[in-house]
Amino acid sequence: MSDKLPSHVVTPGAGPAYDHGDKFKVEKLDFFYGGFNALTDISVSIKRHAVTAFIGPSGCGKSTFLRCLNRMNDLIPGTRVEGRITLDDHDVYGSGVDPVDLRRRVGMIFQQPNPFPMSIYDNVAYGPKLHGVRKKSELDAIVEESLKRANVWKEVKDILSRGGLTLSGGQQQRLCIARVLAVEPEVLLMDEPCSAIDPTSVQKIEDLMAELKDRITIVIVTHNMQQAARVSDYTAFFLQEVAGEPAHLVEYDRTASLFTTPKDRRTEDYITGRFG
Amino acid sequence: MREGFRQELKDLKAEVLAIGRLCTEQTTLSVQALVEGDVELAQRVIDGDDAIDHRTLALEEATLEVMATQFPVARDLRLLHSLTYVAWHMERMGDLAVNIAKAARRTADRKGPQTLYDLIQAQGNLVHRVLDACIESLDHNDLELALKLQELDEPIDHLYKQFFRELARLQDEDDIEWASNMVMAARYLERIADNAVDIGERVRYMLTGTFEAMPESPIAE
Repeated sequence: MSDKLPSHVVTPGAGPAYDHGDKFKVEKLDFFYGGFNALTDISVSIKRHAVTAFIGPSGCGKSTFLRCLNRMNDLIPGTRVEGRITLDDHDVYGSGVDPVDLRRRVGMIFQQPNPFPMSIYDNVAYGPKLHGVRKKSELDAIVEESLKRANVWKEVKDILSRGGLTLSGGQQQRLCIARVLAVEPEVLLMDEPCSAIDPTSVQKIEDLMAELKDRITIVIVTHNMQQAARVSDYTAFFLQEVAGEPAHLVEYDRTASLFTTPKDRRTEDYITGRFG
Repeated sequence: MREGFRQELKDLKAEVLAIGRLCTEQTTLSVQALVEGDVELAQRVIDGDDAIDHRTLALEEATLEVMATQFPVARDLRLLHSLTYVAWHMERMGDLAVNIAKAARRTADRKGPQTLYDLIQAQGNLVHRVLDACIESLDHNDLELALKLQELDEPIDHLYKQFFRELARLQDEDDIEWASNMVMAARYLERIADNAVDIGERVRYMLTGTFEAMPESPIAE
């Protein structure tokens, strides 16, 4: 497949510091919950090794779109996708694609931390074990490395056998991030990862995002526009303009440009708090 | 919350406009003091500058507070950022008006050729016109007017050159110190107008998000 994007695909003005090419290319995507067309005509490229933020009012389809990227919506009966999403130029919805393998490559963090009811260690080791890692020393190394990358190692290194659910909400969220990192994903999708946790953990998660993007691509849905501005390199603004009509992508640009000189009046009105 | 923020933005802009009008008045009065040899008026201008300095500092503090607490973005961010710059250009204009007033104080008991008085007054009138346009462009978000400031500034630059031609005509019996003060005053007026042109650039950035330096004044520096 050619690297050249079709002309209708919106590409943000590239900053030389973070343009490592496209990880995802989305072309003319429509998404349906049964008969309801929730998203329409989304064409966008998501940059590799960058943080991309999706913003917009509630119900604008940003989480739905996020879940399209690793086929999480497949789990909801009656949903349907039209258009095309490629990950490294391979069709995400292609017939030979194993959704489970896709979700290992494209990991996900949810609003509510959801550790497994098992020890901190086992939470992180679970994925690697499932993928065939058996050696204790190897698992130990993966657990330590993942917890370090998730900015939670110092807090849990002496209590690894304790239950994951005994941790605070913010620690649980970072444990979940470690669990995802343990299987070496290429992309991390984060669906409002900080909206239910304490400010210290928010800071730690924002810090780890900046560190992780050297190795992985991050896409975050957030209601917090300050957070989008702080952590992301690119920002996409989604909007459902009329109730019952599908939401669409209004503007997509480098975060610094979008938050200083948005090109679309609707983006400007939303980010300056004039509606939404 | 957002309504309070909007009001704060309006208040800050109104304060910058008020500072700007004060600077215009100071400039006009300083020229009047110079032309009429009015020491008292010159002193009033000099004393009046403290208020401009204080209000500019207070405005900068208030702007910083709003930036720190309200997380302005897009046009709100550009407005706040621009207001600080605009206010400092205005403060600089106030200082230049003080310099003119000091020249007025130094020359009050001297007299020179009427042509130079006429030139200073004409230049003062042109500067007044530029300042009015500059403030109006900010007040009404008038991009066209902001971009026109450079054009309005040109006759002031030409008049400044005229000063040197008039100086060459001075006779031995003319008061050279007086004449030097007049030239300096003309230079200060020309700099005041340059600051107004700079404000126009800020207004352009504020309204469009693009920042493009206008061509240098032909005789600037």
